[in-house]
Amino acid sequence: MQVSSASTYPGLRHPAGYQEPDDACFALYDEPQAWADFSLCIDKPPESQVFQSFVAVRGMRCAACALVLEDALRQVNGVMDVQVSAASARASITWSAAQTRPSRWLGAGLAQGYQLLPADDAVCIESDLQQSRLVLWRWLVALFCMMQVMMYAAPSYFTQPGDMSPDIEKLLRWASWVLSLPVVLFSCKPFFSNAWRDLLRRSISMDLPVAIGIAVTFAVSTAATFKPQGWWGREVYFDSLTMFVFFLLTGRWLEQRLNSRTVGALGALTHRLPTSIQRQLPDGDFENVAVRHLRVGDVVRVLTGQAFPADGTSLAGDVLADEALLTGESRPVLHHAGGSVIAGSYNLGQAALVRVDKLGLDTRYAQIVALMRRAALDKPQLALLADKVAKPFLLFVLLAAAGAAALWWRTDPAMALMVAVAVLVVTCPCALSLATPTALLTTAGLLARHGVLVRHLQAIESLSHIDTVVFDKTGTLTDAAMRLESVQTRTGVSSNTALQWAASLASQSLHPVSRALVLAAADLPALASLNVKESAGRGLAASFDASCPSAEGLSGTLRLGSSSFCGLDASLDKLGRVHLADSQGWLATFDLAESLRPDALDAVAALRARGLAVHLFSGDTLAAATRVAGQLGIHQVHGDCLPQTKLALMRALQVQGHKVLMVGDGLNDGPTLAAADVSVAVGAAVPLAQAQSDLVLPGAQLSMLPVMLGQSRRTLQVVKQNLAWAAVYNATCVPLAISGFLPAWLAGLGMALSSLLVVANAARLSRFNTGS
Amino acid sequence: MDILFLLVPVSVLLALGVMGVLAWAVWSGQFEALESEGQRIFDAWA
Repeated sequence: MQVSSASTYPGLRHPAGYQEPDDACFALYDEPQAWADFSLCIDKPPESQVFQSFVAVRGMRCAACALVLEDALRQVNGVMDVQVSAASARASITWSAAQTRPSRWLGAGLAQGYQLLPADDAVCIESDLQQSRLVLWRWLVALFCMMQVMMYAAPSYFTQPGDMSPDIEKLLRWASWVLSLPVVLFSCKPFFSNAWRDLLRRSISMDLPVAIGIAVTFAVSTAATFKPQGWWGREVYFDSLTMFVFFLLTGRWLEQRLNSRTVGALGALTHRLPTSIQRQLPDGDFENVAVRHLRVGDVVRVLTGQAFPADGTSLAGDVLADEALLTGESRPVLHHAGGSVIAGSYNLGQAALVRVDKLGLDTRYAQIVALMRRAALDKPQLALLADKVAKPFLLFVLLAAAGAAALWWRTDPAMALMVAVAVLVVTCPCALSLATPTALLTTAGLLARHGVLVRHLQAIESLSHIDTVVFDKTGTLTDAAMRLESVQTRTGVSSNTALQWAASLASQSLHPVSRALVLAAADLPALASLNVKESAGRGLAASFDASCPSAEGLSGTLRLGSSSFCGLDASLDKLGRVHLADSQGWLATFDLAESLRPDALDAVAALRARGLAVHLFSGDTLAAATRVAGQLGIHQVHGDCLPQTKLALMRALQVQGHKVLMVGDGLNDGPTLAAADVSVAVGAAVPLAQAQSDLVLPGAQLSMLPVMLGQSRRTLQVVKQNLAWAAVYNATCVPLAISGFLPAWLAGLGMALSSLLVVANAARLSRFNTGS
Repeated sequence: MDILFLLVPVSVLLALGVMGVLAWAVWSGQFEALESEGQRIFDAWA
């Protein structure tokens, strides 16, 4: 169970202390200590340090905003690079500490009408709360006023002309006008302020058509209320107005909630560290301190459900931890006292005492967070395309509305205005620009929850086109550890006895072969009193106490190692083979093999079942590679590959038109991983920051590969559905509105449902499809 | 019918009054943490 955010941040219940950030407030972030909370030092030349800061952006509606903000921030002297993502409302700013300070670029963002908040700060969380209350309040005002305005409008629909006295009719219109005021002035304020901001910048955004629509409707109805004799006619549209505003706000509110639930899955992972923690004082008591004040060596108490704030060592008792994000292991992991726990994993058991070993950016968690934040800012090609289309589309909508008004003007000026309003309100470019990023981010969040880290969102799209999978062998399909395959012994010696002797020697050595032998003999008792000497790279020799009953039948010195070390014929040598000999000569031969990862067989079978060609490129000998390939049912095998050979082989596949997914350990496959259409690095050995791959599987769960492929195909399907829906919807509704068949309230409903549909469709991706 | 001249303005005022109550509810956090309040019974420390 998770601790609710309300109890983690008790201050949230008292919004009185909260204040909107302004320039003076930004100066607080100019302290290196303060900016370190949301920044990463990426380069350290002696004089000037370069930082990458991650911030949340408020006031952003669409892709056009992202471009404007990027431009504005780039103009600040000392800012080197800016990436803004509209879908996740996040930005990363790369800046040089020698030339600028956070307050400068925070101020530059605010000057453009966007509030930038440090992504990690409690301020950000508090402002989120204020923001969500404001959105709810605007929506409630629109809802309540709409209901009441409907009441006042109802009589005019049910009565014949002349049934109502003009005085009563006037009274009802005034009442409607009074209750429409809060809707237009308060609930619609975001539409107006965003549209105005964009006009000032000579750009247009999705809010402009809507704002014009609201303003025109309200102006016409107000004029008709107070001066019914004018050319604008005597019809009032307060009911339509409040209704479509209500629909638009409902749509946006639900869309935002859905979006923050799914896209927020990424955010939830990056915000898991507690802000404060109980630290043990020298006298044994506990005090609450902010996590950023922790130092290495501190002892902290982590409560049930809390995340470990740092990498550390458990001091007392067993710790049950959920490490799914960091290792991909979905089952809780039990650490005994003295075991190490990792930052960002949840404490599932009782409260734990932990000594802090590594903090902040040194932890693997921080590396994962940095990686995922960078990925969320990634702009996939499909999203870029939608952004490019959005602006001309909006221009077209404005022109179409003007054209429709001009057409209808001659027949009926009042009707002309309402047709124009319907055109402005019905179009939904948001469906267009939301279609791709929401789907990709949802999938990235889902994969991250299952231990797959997505470094580039583009990879999700590319993954769906893959038809060929190339595996590296060592460290990818196989574990680094070896496994005992078979034993041959001298007549009269049982294989168990031989293994027992070999393991007794091997237990003194850390060589992989020795460890495999010890592991294989784990159930057998060890021989007593051996005096072992290790010759590096050749073998082990031991003298023993011949009176020991288990040493019956042995004589002289016991040797374990290569054939030459044991004094045997060199023709017996084979890959992964060791011998045991005593003074009388050969005793036993052990054949060892690399052990396959437990899920490799299923993963390869599942990939082949999906119709993918599976290849194995190995730097190991062809014999070893063929043996592993045979076990897995892989037919295309290449052994003895140098990195250049692997690259050439892959290029050859790509020239034939194949889209190649390369799965490697990320250490010695760098060039091949980089050249593949999509690359996956497997295993925790990879330093995350340096991995060359598009995706990382830190827990080496090969079984995720087919799942990832399936999910990526579904994602692309959803993206295509969304884009198709946006196109079809706009293509049918705009002509309908122009021809006057669509009243304004229906237009508002249509637009709200359309963007909701797009986000809801993407939300389907937040779960794996278990049906297939 | 004359009573309408009183009732309609009263209904406007009433609506504004109800909105005032809603405002209080929103800004004092009545719509937040709808589930965690119920879960708090399981929390030994809260």
